[in-house]
Amino acid sequence: MSGTAPIVHVVDDDTSFLTAISRLLRANGFSVKTYSSAHEFLTQRDAYAPGCVLADLRMPQMNGLDLQSALAQSANPLPMLFLTGHGDIPSTVRAMREGAEDFLEKRAPKEMLLNAVTRALDRDARERAARERQRELRARFDMLTERELEVLSHVVRGRLNKQIAADLGLHERTVKLHRTAITTKLKVQSVAELTRLTQEAGIFPEPVRTFPKGQ
Amino acid sequence: MSASACLTVAGINLLVWCRDRRAWANLLFSLTATSTAAFALCELWMMHAGTPAEFTTVLKLGHVAVWLLVVSLVGFVRLYLKAGRPWLAWTVCGLRTLLLVVNFLVGQNLNYLEVTRIGHIRLLGESVAIAEGVLNPWIRLGQLDLLLLSIFVVDATVTTWRRGDRHRALTVGGSIVFFELVSTAQSLLAFYGIVRVPYVATVSFIGLVGVMGYELGSETIHASELGRKLQESEAELHEIQERMRLAVEGADFGIWIRDLTRSEIWATEKWRSLFGFSATERLELDRILQRLHPEDRDAFRLVLQKATEGDGGYETEYRVALPSGEVRWIGSHGRVEFDGAGKPILVRGLSHDITGRKKVEQETQNLRQEIAHVGRVSMMGQLASALAHEINQPLGAILRNAEAAELFMEDKSPDLDEVRAILADIRKDDQRAGNVIDRMRGLLKRKSLDNQPVDVNELVGEVAALVRSDAAARHIKLEVAVADDLPPVSGDLVHLQQVLLNLIVNGMDALDEVNRGDRRVSVTATLDGPKTVEIAVSDSGRGIPADKLAHIFDPFFTTKVNGMGMGLPISRTIIEAHNGRLWAENRNEGGASFRFTLPIPEKDATK
Repeated sequence: MSGTAPIVHVVDDDTSFLTAISRLLRANGFSVKTYSSAHEFLTQRDAYAPGCVLADLRMPQMNGLDLQSALAQSANPLPMLFLTGHGDIPSTVRAMREGAEDFLEKRAPKEMLLNAVTRALDRDARERAARERQRELRARFDMLTERELEVLSHVVRGRLNKQIAADLGLHERTVKLHRTAITTKLKVQSVAELTRLTQEAGIFPEPVRTFPKGQ
Repeated sequence: MSASACLTVAGINLLVWCRDRRAWANLLFSLTATSTAAFALCELWMMHAGTPAEFTTVLKLGHVAVWLLVVSLVGFVRLYLKAGRPWLAWTVCGLRTLLLVVNFLVGQNLNYLEVTRIGHIRLLGESVAIAEGVLNPWIRLGQLDLLLLSIFVVDATVTTWRRGDRHRALTVGGSIVFFELVSTAQSLLAFYGIVRVPYVATVSFIGLVGVMGYELGSETIHASELGRKLQESEAELHEIQERMRLAVEGADFGIWIRDLTRSEIWATEKWRSLFGFSATERLELDRILQRLHPEDRDAFRLVLQKATEGDGGYETEYRVALPSGEVRWIGSHGRVEFDGAGKPILVRGLSHDITGRKKVEQETQNLRQEIAHVGRVSMMGQLASALAHEINQPLGAILRNAEAAELFMEDKSPDLDEVRAILADIRKDDQRAGNVIDRMRGLLKRKSLDNQPVDVNELVGEVAALVRSDAAARHIKLEVAVADDLPPVSGDLVHLQQVLLNLIVNGMDALDEVNRGDRRVSVTATLDGPKTVEIAVSDSGRGIPADKLAHIFDPFFTTKVNGMGMGLPISRTIIEAHNGRLWAENRNEGGASFRFTLPIPEKDATK
């Protein structure tokens, strides 16, 4: 998590409601920024800052769902909270399927609203941390050479050095050297840790088999 | 013989006068004939007189007949030819009367101071008496009178001839003059002894009576023929009247005729029963107007007034409130008749009972309103989510503001300015929510047409506000362009909003298959001539297929899955009830355009 405080971005074409909800959120200790259209938000927001988005579902030009799609494709996919005067089922289903944090009526109880905002911010923090860790792991794996990655794929499948050497047509000593380089670069102590890390980083698309077939 | 002929003619003419008391000419001629007959008898008597005394006495009496003959002849000529100078007529009659007096006072009679002896001559193989004696000088005055009579008749005859009535001038005037001159000449010759003949002046008069008898008789025949023809045409007229009556009764029409010059009103029995008048009651315009429903009275007066000022025709419908309390609808049309100077003289009208038709119309109208109401309710159902959104928007703002204010107030030193701002916002949002509800209630309420001046900006603006969020949710750009300085139109705001709402919703529905960026509905209001505002709702959809264009205003015709097919017919009904037109067309640049016109009230019409 970076050091800056999370911001609640509120997007609504109804300025009256925008003013009211920002008053309430500020009074509850949140930092709030308001935008009168989705476009305004997308162009003015801090591209990396933490926070969440509270958007009206119905807005002229770009509505809440469109904003959600645009945001999901960005580098900083903040959690979305939808506000609506009167929710309809198709929009709700679509919003939730695309990962909306919550779907609230404009007159929802205050606690529900505040809880949802808190939850969204927590989720942003969590996801942000996860994204950070992912990035860091990727950075470590990026240091491996092609051959090392190849060896790693065999190692995490539990194959012995001798077998790997035979499979790849290498000398057993060479395989050992590769394994040492891998554990050093990835800063791991054991094969178990190496397997977990590889899985976490999602390096190999197919599920890693710990035990080879037929053994 | 001549006397009896005269009496026959006298009798016939007397009969004519008895049958027709206005035929004074016939009465007078009857008198003429009678006096001629009387004088003829006197002449006969004189021809057979034995002594001078007998002769003079008979002649004296004969002058009474002559007096009557002259006076009645003058009267007859005046009446029958309708000519002759009155002063001459009076002179002739007055002189003759004077002579009658002289006849009795001077000498033995007007002709002789004294008859000395009776002579005898032979006439047609018979011995007749003639007088001899001293002539009375007054006889010259008698001759002058006869001359004046001739002049009077000649003058009357000439006048008649000049007037063009030549037949009458010849037969009546001519024969009177001829026979009168002959008789005068004959009597002059007799008196002065130039020719020894007895008094037979009447012989020539009998000729006159014969000619006149023929003349008057042929007129009598002619009159009777006319009478027969009159009877025939009366029968024909009666037949026509009967047919008319039958037709009018069959069609259930009542007829009334108002004679403006005599201010009399005549009406058929049917008409009287329509208006609740008995068969004998006297009809007056004021009383008839009193029968009219108070709300229709002025309108009817105006219609009549317009008819008399315009081309004369009128057609109107009004209610009649019968004394029994029953209200009856009357359909009426009529025509004003003018005299040569363009002054109205007669009004003819035809009225019939249209209560039944009106009732059906009323029911249809109610049904229409019912359908309009249902249509509105169903349309509101479609718009319910949009409306809930509209209302929840301000309500949400109010709630959040109130919650924020509560938090502020928990502070030890609350920011009161902030709280005041919040309260002002709450008030504003409450007003906003109220407006939405008012609009919705107005649309849902069932009302008959209530024509008021309607501001086109307000009309378009309010409906646009209702649909704006729905349009936004459907990615539709709603464009509104109302021309500046449009005068107000005459109409019912709620009904017109319903029409506009319907057209806009239709337009938006037409855009479902269009790419998001190209979805547009535009509402424009422009002046179309000095008396009309045109409002158009255009969409950027695919337009209306040519084969469907003719049917989209048919009831229950729909292209929508959930459509009732009532929106457009109801809209058209409403616009036509406003004296406007609603039609659809495909636009050259693509999409459909629905246009309707609304009239601008006369006083606001632009020049």
